[in-house]
Amino acid sequence: MSSTLLPEEQATDSHRHSKSSQMRRYGFFPGCVAKESCKELFNSTMLLADKLGIELIELTAASCCGASVVNDTNRDIARVLNARTYAQAEALGLDDVITICSTCTGHMRAANMELLESEERMNQANSILGKFGAKYEGSVMVRHLLWLLIDDIGLDKLSSMVVRPLNGLRVAPFYGCHIIRPEKVNGWESARNPHSLEDVITAIGGEPVDYAGKTRCCGFHIQLEKDGVATSMVGQNMRIAKDRGAEAVITPCPLCHLALDGYQQDAAARWGRTDLPTFHLPQLVALALGVPAEKLGLNKHLIDPRTILVERELIA
Amino acid sequence: MAQVKLDIFRYDEAVDAVPHRDTVEVDVPVTMTVLDALETAKAEVDGSISFRRSCRSAICGSCSMNINGVTGLACKTPCKSVMNDEGVIQIDPMPNFQPMKDLVVHMDPFWDKYTRLKPYLQPADRDEDHETERRVSPADMKKLVDAANCVMCATCYALCPVVSVDPSFAGPAAIAYAYRFIEDVRDGKKKERLAQINEDYLWLCAHCYACSYCPKHVDPHDRIVDVKRATIQEGVMMDHPGPRHALVVNKTIKKTGMLAETEVIQGTVGIFNIRGLAKITPLAIRMAVKGKMPPPFLRPIPKVDEVRTIFESLEVPT
Repeated sequence: MSSTLLPEEQATDSHRHSKSSQMRRYGFFPGCVAKESCKELFNSTMLLADKLGIELIELTAASCCGASVVNDTNRDIARVLNARTYAQAEALGLDDVITICSTCTGHMRAANMELLESEERMNQANSILGKFGAKYEGSVMVRHLLWLLIDDIGLDKLSSMVVRPLNGLRVAPFYGCHIIRPEKVNGWESARNPHSLEDVITAIGGEPVDYAGKTRCCGFHIQLEKDGVATSMVGQNMRIAKDRGAEAVITPCPLCHLALDGYQQDAAARWGRTDLPTFHLPQLVALALGVPAEKLGLNKHLIDPRTILVERELIA
Repeated sequence: MAQVKLDIFRYDEAVDAVPHRDTVEVDVPVTMTVLDALETAKAEVDGSISFRRSCRSAICGSCSMNINGVTGLACKTPCKSVMNDEGVIQIDPMPNFQPMKDLVVHMDPFWDKYTRLKPYLQPADRDEDHETERRVSPADMKKLVDAANCVMCATCYALCPVVSVDPSFAGPAAIAYAYRFIEDVRDGKKKERLAQINEDYLWLCAHCYACSYCPKHVDPHDRIVDVKRATIQEGVMMDHPGPRHALVVNKTIKKTGMLAETEVIQGTVGIFNIRGLAKITPLAIRMAVKGKMPPPFLRPIPKVDEVRTIFESLEVPT
């Protein structure tokens, strides 16, 4: 917006803020999986943040969000665990909390909604947080990195930062349920016809693939429940994507990533081979913004995404 | 008035080897529902178009179908909300069901799931032993109202991605309706109901919220979670992956603040379950080769005592 300022205002403005204080700061909640089996997601998120000129300050003492499982035993515990995380963010002056996992996004937003909707639940949470001197004031907003890219950076700006456009790589978006549903919890975009991932794919020079599987479930949460079910859900969705011409998949969720990357091989028996390489959202955006491919942990994926990148002359 | 072009799935299992599509044009106000447009088409253009309907006001649950790829009640969907610029509306039978004729599907698997769960009150004692009617307090009734609003339209069942790959899953509606009896203070078969619903793969719900599009706002997903909680509280069929998973996730969060993937996998499958472990080994090896294994042990997060305080303050002593 600086172009609308008068020259003297611009001067004052740049005088008042040092470069580092202009850098936007966010509370960063990486979630468990990005710290455990998907470290490449954590690393590529930090590299992308550098490129974007934003500062992600990790909430290092935050706990698991409950991941839909704590709810299965005790909804109050899931809610208060998240209240503790929000209290930490507030104490650090970081009430804008960014996630990199669809499931974290959905469950943290749901917990926050429950707290903000009901004084009784907020009091319950604060009476427990008070035992260790913490308090949640209710100021936190939880957003996914995907929404940050569009709301805070902007698609035009993002597009202008691209140094290695994806050469029309045909990428199938895979949202992950909890970033879109239920709509009353997320509501950032239509859960039935979201297009944020498509917009980002286009902005970085790729071609989004439209297919029925994009808002469906990867089955991650029932992987260990019954043989073959989650595998088949992966196979079904990847089959549709492949048949619609996808060359790769992008997902904002590490749980979806584990399922899509890990289970396509086993799903081949029922759904045929698909072998679609799956990118974490920040990996592909960082690649387009010029982060060296070897820093993005692409070698950690079971279906090697470097093959298609070499074919498309995106990496050597 | 406007031209609405209904692009309809046509199929008769008694005659057709494969389905085809017909486009039927009708002049109707765009505020008319898709069901009314279909009625007009049937009355004025082609009497052979088949679809189920009765009440026309979202009470009977008969007219659920796929409208532009989205399952819902035709009587609750105005044409103007779904027609494209050319006035076209695509209409298909509900997915996850075998088509019978046009938009009519075989509902049997759906009803079977219901009847297995005995969807009627089974009190612990005889009515004759009661001097008054069996009373329910407004507070107790309030818990049941949402689930009792189910009109059995099967929209959630049609939308369920688990049902689409494994029809042995009870599906959202049946579990939500089981909840309606499980939590009814007049019912005496809570444990039996929970055992049955667990046999019908309660824990196969993938938490995807596809059923959040329930036209009657039953919110089947939340009811499924309620039934899972009741299962654990009552200690029904605990030696199964679902309850084991729930308990080990809680345990690792309480211990480390994090969901410790390695321990959760071991705890869910069971460390003495040789067959189960053998099944996940190939993937584990593929991940290990790529350096993608979660750490075997996690260092607790800073101030993990606070997490433990939260658990201890809210855990109901058993």
